[in-house]
Amino acid sequence: MILDIKKLETGYGKLRVLRGVDLSVGRESVGLFGPNGAGKTTLINAIMGMVRPWAGSIEFEGAPIGGRPTHLVARAGIALVPQERELFPGMSVADNLELGAAYVPRGRDIIEKQLDTVLSLFPILKERYRQLVGTMSGGQQRMVAIGRALMANPILLILDEPSLGLQPSIVAEVFDRLSVLKKDVAILVTEQNVRESLRAIDRGYVIENGRVLLEDTAEGLAKNPHVVSAYLGL
Amino acid sequence: MVNKRKTTLVVALIAAAAVIILAWRPTVLIYGLQAAGLYASIAVPMGLILGIVHIVNLAHGEFLMVAAYATYLLCKSLGIDPYLALLPVTAVTAGLGFVVYKLTIRQTLKAPELNQLILTFGLGISMTQIANLLFTSQTRKLSFDYVSASIDIGELSFGVYNFVFLGAALLMVVGLRWYLTRTTAGKAAVAVGQNPRGAAIVGIDVDRTYGFVFAMATALVGMMGAMLITRSAVFPTVGSPYTMKSFCLVAMAGIGNIPGILGASILLGVSENLLKAFRGLRGWADIVFFVLIITVILGRSIRGKKA
Repeated sequence: MILDIKKLETGYGKLRVLRGVDLSVGRESVGLFGPNGAGKTTLINAIMGMVRPWAGSIEFEGAPIGGRPTHLVARAGIALVPQERELFPGMSVADNLELGAAYVPRGRDIIEKQLDTVLSLFPILKERYRQLVGTMSGGQQRMVAIGRALMANPILLILDEPSLGLQPSIVAEVFDRLSVLKKDVAILVTEQNVRESLRAIDRGYVIENGRVLLEDTAEGLAKNPHVVSAYLGL
Repeated sequence: MVNKRKTTLVVALIAAAAVIILAWRPTVLIYGLQAAGLYASIAVPMGLILGIVHIVNLAHGEFLMVAAYATYLLCKSLGIDPYLALLPVTAVTAGLGFVVYKLTIRQTLKAPELNQLILTFGLGISMTQIANLLFTSQTRKLSFDYVSASIDIGELSFGVYNFVFLGAALLMVVGLRWYLTRTTAGKAAVAVGQNPRGAAIVGIDVDRTYGFVFAMATALVGMMGAMLITRSAVFPTVGSPYTMKSFCLVAMAGIGNIPGILGASILLGVSENLLKAFRGLRGWADIVFFVLIITVILGRSIRGKKA
């Protein structure tokens, strides 16, 4: 397993958000679904070292990473595309992409190759290469954020709500790109747009009230009555 | 298009004003630029800290004072020139800055901004009082012949030494610009300043970057402290006025705008010297600084409201 989470409990202050989550990601694409406040982003924050685990364990490639500082988690090979994108708005696309690789050993040594990969995956970034990121549209910024994460040549790519705030045509484009990416990198994606993301994942978890409610393949989830009624709106 | 026209108009007005001043009383421009160099070279490091670490270092002038005392002691005991003492003093203030960051400032970074203001204010007072205890309030001065170097152009005669501060300011602005836009470490520092969370996500050690930038800024202030002693006496409160002036220059230029600090310093230096050119108004020169800062901040607020 690339990522192995066991009985994870954490929260903010006295508020317990995750109540014993078990989750694993191998060389595959895994979806994490659930309503607002279910704990999806908290789980990602715990993996990335932004929230300290209260109990349980998080292992990445067999080594414990729970509670490690974010920059060390990133250097170990986990790249995150956050919900809020967290780009450097006053810097160009070129600088944002360069910084995606500069401090991660796996990406730093093959920066040119990664740049070619990212620019061929998102040709719009080649056109806007020298543009300041803060002046770009939300959809284009999302592509910069995904591109920046890929520059690190990650072992595991985590995407937190990649379709948030995007128009439907861009959402479809983002998931098309994810379908291509999953051949080369393990993916963990949280999403409220379950219909689109089921196209891009192999397996998925449904998380509600800080607990894993369901775990199944993409086909299994698409047929599950709870998923169908609660998330697919049928 | 409108912005371009506005910029051209401002540049044309500044050039016209410079030509008029130069024709009327050239020393206003000459001494104005010299003063601007001193202001900018001390304010730029504060701008660096504010732009990246996002704290107002109210102990800024006290680092200048520590460097000035360290230079004085080195020069007095070893009989060397302040420019020879510059390197070790810069290293000492860099180290002091790093230790101060690690032991105090770092602990308050996640707290509301008022905590950092109070902390650096307290640090400044402590440093001044320690200097008072160690050296008393007596002023100490070193004299160097090269400081009185002057040049004659026709009937005009003026001191040239203080241009060294303008040179230092220009070098600092160009050097920092190169570092922040052309090197990976510099770009990482800018990234930390713009989005520390985003920087950590890409593997940048935010805490180490803050510490490094703080130490670099105190090193630059230390360098200026060593140079300051060539023209000024040293005493415990020698740095305090520079803290306020630096803060106002940084505010005038806008946070993160390092070349803008040089522009704001030229405006301040030339305006002060312009007022000094009128015999009855000499004593009012210090008020220029307050008028400029109030005008700029008011102007910004009005523009912000319109926007």
